[in-house]
Amino acid sequence: MTEITITWILLPLFLGMSSYLLPKLARYLTVIAVVSSLAYGLQAIVSQTPITLELLDHFGVILSIDGLSGFFIVTNALVTAAVLAYCWVLPKSGFFYTQLLILHGSLNAIFISADFVTVYVALETIGIASFLLIAYSRTERTIWVSLRYLFVSSVAMLFYLMGAVLVYQANHSFSFSGLLNAPLEGIALIFLGLFTKGGLFISGLWLPLTHAEAETPVSAMLSGAVVKAGIFPLVRLSLMFGELSPMIQLFGIASAFLGVGYALFESDLKRLLALSTISQVGFIVASPTVAGFYALSHGLAKASLFLTVGNLPERQLAKLQATVIPARLWGVLTMAALSISGFPLLAGYGAKVWALEQLTGWQSWAMNGAALGTVVVFAKVIFIPFALGASQGGPGTKGVTGGFWIGVLLLLLSLVIANGVYLPAYTLANLLKTLAVIVGGWGASFFLLRQFQVQLPRVLEYFQQLIGLISVILVLLFGGLWAWLAF
Amino acid sequence: MILEACVLGVILLGFSGLVWQPSLLLKIIALDVMSTGVIGYFVLIAARTGVFTPILFPTQSVTYADPVPQAVILTAIVIGLSTQALMLVGAMKLSKNNPTLELDEIERNYLP
Repeated sequence: MTEITITWILLPLFLGMSSYLLPKLARYLTVIAVVSSLAYGLQAIVSQTPITLELLDHFGVILSIDGLSGFFIVTNALVTAAVLAYCWVLPKSGFFYTQLLILHGSLNAIFISADFVTVYVALETIGIASFLLIAYSRTERTIWVSLRYLFVSSVAMLFYLMGAVLVYQANHSFSFSGLLNAPLEGIALIFLGLFTKGGLFISGLWLPLTHAEAETPVSAMLSGAVVKAGIFPLVRLSLMFGELSPMIQLFGIASAFLGVGYALFESDLKRLLALSTISQVGFIVASPTVAGFYALSHGLAKASLFLTVGNLPERQLAKLQATVIPARLWGVLTMAALSISGFPLLAGYGAKVWALEQLTGWQSWAMNGAALGTVVVFAKVIFIPFALGASQGGPGTKGVTGGFWIGVLLLLLSLVIANGVYLPAYTLANLLKTLAVIVGGWGASFFLLRQFQVQLPRVLEYFQQLIGLISVILVLLFGGLWAWLAF
Repeated sequence: MILEACVLGVILLGFSGLVWQPSLLLKIIALDVMSTGVIGYFVLIAARTGVFTPILFPTQSVTYADPVPQAVILTAIVIGLSTQALMLVGAMKLSKNNPTLELDEIERNYLP
């Protein structure tokens, strides 16, 4: 198994380099990497035995593969596959596929790593590969957006690195298992890095602009798979250390509300999706035992939403309300939006019910509220008018390609199949509750939200503020940890 | 102890540069200062147990520096270098239309 794992983890990186040298083969090489990841991920979910690999002694690389990793790897594979299908007929250079493959490979690496240095290296590679993908179109604006992303992620990773060395000093090992031996500031610094990379709470406010301004396939990749890179280590740590999980959960809940709160008043469709990513990431972190399945259902739905929205004639919701969009595109949008809202027969339903079951007390109430908010937000997407014969795309768009349909059908089909993961969700009480929430949310959206339009200030998303917010989160984390662990 | 304070001071200095400097180029340099501080911190922690090169002498035992943090920070230095290079290329591209590279100016031009 060790050999298979190492070969599999190195394969995308090797194929990525090859596709730079052989740009004609790039697409086929990407297929190989994606298929191997899908097979490996499914195998990890099905075989119930977790594996831990310790390479090069106790201070070396530590990998651990279990069902949780499996779900994340499958998410990564399916989203990459959809992005690949989407890009198949587009004139993308070999360089694009090289970055895509390196991104895919580093994401895989993070989903099986169990020590802080492997996580660091993978996160930095992800940062650089995403930078190059966002800047791929080379317009000044995308260069600025990607530069901003790289800045924020580098600063976060420098803090993270300081935390990692404090863990090493306490344990003479970088393994996850020694986190609690480290001083409080070490834990706070590590969490700061992961929160920022994962787009959690206010340290994640870099995310809306970055995800909204990137090209369609890149947005899908970023929102569907890349944000999970920062989240996965958090989930792992939350599962390993029960003492820390209440605090991580608190940040998750705060993040869920922040994302939904911003998204409720957002008028730009792509930004709305990006903001909803912040809130969904909060859901993933808040119930770590269901994190894998939730991440899968969110990744599939969000990637198909981003791919579809990129092909709509408009991004502004107000203008979309005034036009009609093709019924087929509307169908895709609605199905994915229903899944995120937690509609039965789609993976989102099982994930949401399962995740909410894990919570008790006020957390449960809070997250149910956030779930209702999500329904209200996505009602805006569902209520876009459509018509059967509407022309595809407006001026400036090239229309929908066949690759788009293959990618989106793959994602939607997976959403339906993944629905079978948690069948106990289908009880009468759950179904009634979900339907009540959805109908209530749609009603609220239809009657209340249309009445008033508020433009929330975006001042916190300016670069200067982003860096400042990082220090705010550091203070909050330190205070939180001190309160939780010192007493 | 004094050394540690100095190293942490450098990190803080770099971070405050990131917050307060108005120009993109100066911010990139501030990031470099900060990463130098972090590298220094690793070296400092590696040297807690001794300062000798970790080479095995058959005859005598020396208090050697811990090689693991040094190996790790070598990776981080390389990553930092490539990130800096990419950022400078980005700044170069942006400087064509924003010659002063002032951040407020750039954000006003490119943000919706």
